Amino acid sequence: MGDLVETITRGNVVEVKVILASVALALAVYQLVLIAVGYGKVRPPFLASRAASFAHRAVGDVIAVLLVVVAIACISYFEVEDDHAAHVAAAVALLAVLALKILVVRRWHRLSALLPYLGLGVFVLLALTWATSAGDILASR
Amino acid sequence: MTRQVVGSLVAAAVIVIVTIVVVTARLGTTSTAELELREDALKERTELQEERLDQQREQREKRQEQREGRDSGGPG
Repeated sequence: MGDLVETITRGNVVEVKVILASVALALAVYQLVLIAVGYGKVRPPFLASRAASFAHRAVGDVIAVLLVVVAIACISYFEVEDDHAAHVAAAVALLAVLALKILVVRRWHRLSALLPYLGLGVFVLLALTWATSAGDILASR
Repeated sequence: MTRQVVGSLVAAAVIVIVTIVVVTARLGTTSTAELELREDALKERTELQEERLDQQREQREKRQEQREGRDSGGPG
């Protein structure tokens, strides 16, 4: 799997991972804006709450795919090291909370009151995961 | 409604493109591919230098042999 990741990225595994993680984070910020409109906290004249909620769901699917791809690249190419304990912990928690959020959205509708908190949790954990890896790399260049 | 959803998704696409451009610019030319290219160029240059040194050494040896041949083959 590590070889496949290296071949696909043409040897630029770190760079591709940083770009994908940064795209996921940028979209996550946009998600906050969309869901603020979706919940009616912000009411711009050009975007209805229903349209914002629909776009939020679509963009969320894209982010989920991006995060899974980055996680696979990370696990298959890099070894788990003590130096990156914070990154690993944040990433595992992120995937767990994201999986729970997807389950609540698609199956466990009774828990839908938890969605704002789960969404905020996903955002915070994503920011933390990004900061402890991609952020470090970007800051050092 | 459809137009608003499409507009929101276009905005998302713009965010993706801008992020890719900014992060790629920040990462700069230190990508692995670029480093490999630099390494190859350096290797090529080193090989060329070694080749030239070998040629010079050979020419020097040849000249020395000719000189020695002339010295030992004098009138006798």
